[in-house]
Amino acid sequence: MHVVVMESLEEYLSGTLNPESRRDIEAHLSICESCRQEVAGMQEISGLFSAMVPDEVIEPAPGFYARVMREVGSRRPVPTFAGLFGLDLAFARRLVFASLLLLAALGSYLVTRESEYPAGSSPEAVMAQQDSPQFENAPAHEAMLATLTTYEP
Amino acid sequence: MGSLTGVLPLPGFGSKVAQKSRVDYQNTTEGALVQRAQAGDDAAFREIVDRYQNKVFSIIHGIVRQRNDVEDIAQQVFAKVYLSLRSFDFRSSLITWIYKITVNECFDYLRKRKVRKLVYESDMSEDEVRRVENSEPAVARQAPLDDTLARRDYVVKLLTRISEEERMLLMMKEVEGFSVEELAEKTGMNENTIKVKLFRARQKLVKAAQRLDRAPGLVTG
Repeated sequence: MHVVVMESLEEYLSGTLNPESRRDIEAHLSICESCRQEVAGMQEISGLFSAMVPDEVIEPAPGFYARVMREVGSRRPVPTFAGLFGLDLAFARRLVFASLLLLAALGSYLVTRESEYPAGSSPEAVMAQQDSPQFENAPAHEAMLATLTTYEP
Repeated sequence: MGSLTGVLPLPGFGSKVAQKSRVDYQNTTEGALVQRAQAGDDAAFREIVDRYQNKVFSIIHGIVRQRNDVEDIAQQVFAKVYLSLRSFDFRSSLITWIYKITVNECFDYLRKRKVRKLVYESDMSEDEVRRVENSEPAVARQAPLDDTLARRDYVVKLLTRISEEERMLLMMKEVEGFSVEELAEKTGMNENTIKVKLFRARQKLVKAAQRLDRAPGLVTG
């Protein structure tokens, strides 16, 4: 559609355009087939809207407001856990996700620490302790055996 | 056919902007009423219902034409208004916002009615469908013959092919008779945007009408 028509299309369709601009548009429509067809289609559809203007007035029956409030009551959302703390659902979801991530990170850190523990001292260091006075007892012997059997270089 | 984007930079086309800002509207008497209702004042909400119930009934009746269902839909509209009033951000006027909810509710109702009818008919044999159609009240059978009802059905069918916003703007322009300037004021958009949106909506309607007219039986059904 050309500018001359498009610029004032709404006023043209509603019949509120000033005579001068109207003449300009009609002069263009008389020579432009595509604009003429498109505007004709729009005019036809615009005319159909009058069928949506109600031909009679329907007023609400007495007690309408009370019925609206009953409808509101039946639609009120069921309180949720997040709702108890005044959180909106999206924020609550993000909070739960962040907590889970934190737990996972904490868990993996603890597991890593535990798996590092048995590696402890090397066999050379344990054997060196053999000559020290503290080594002359049973628990120290057992600790040495455990270290030697579980050691992974 | 020229493109609309070629028109936009032209001086004088759409240079006007919406006159009222969000802050201005909040400071009006109606803005204060909405703020009271948003704060949980039921008397303020009741005033909103009293103020706009006739308008809402009229919009619904214009679209669905089922007298018995008008009040049910209106109840749903105001229940929605009540429950989502806190999200109303004063970008448009209250009636524009209520208008949009009402039109959407009507189209939702028409869509559900169509689905119900299809499901109901899919469970019946052809003989049963014919028997039910013949047992419907005479008024209902005559409805498609009524020119106004047929035209209304046709427009409704076309309006389902465009977006909610385009539908609302077109109805406010064509049914309520608002000018582009008034629409800009009510919606908070500038006049240029309104013109562009209306133009696109009208183009889509023309195309939809061409497609419908090519499909036999769809125009008045």
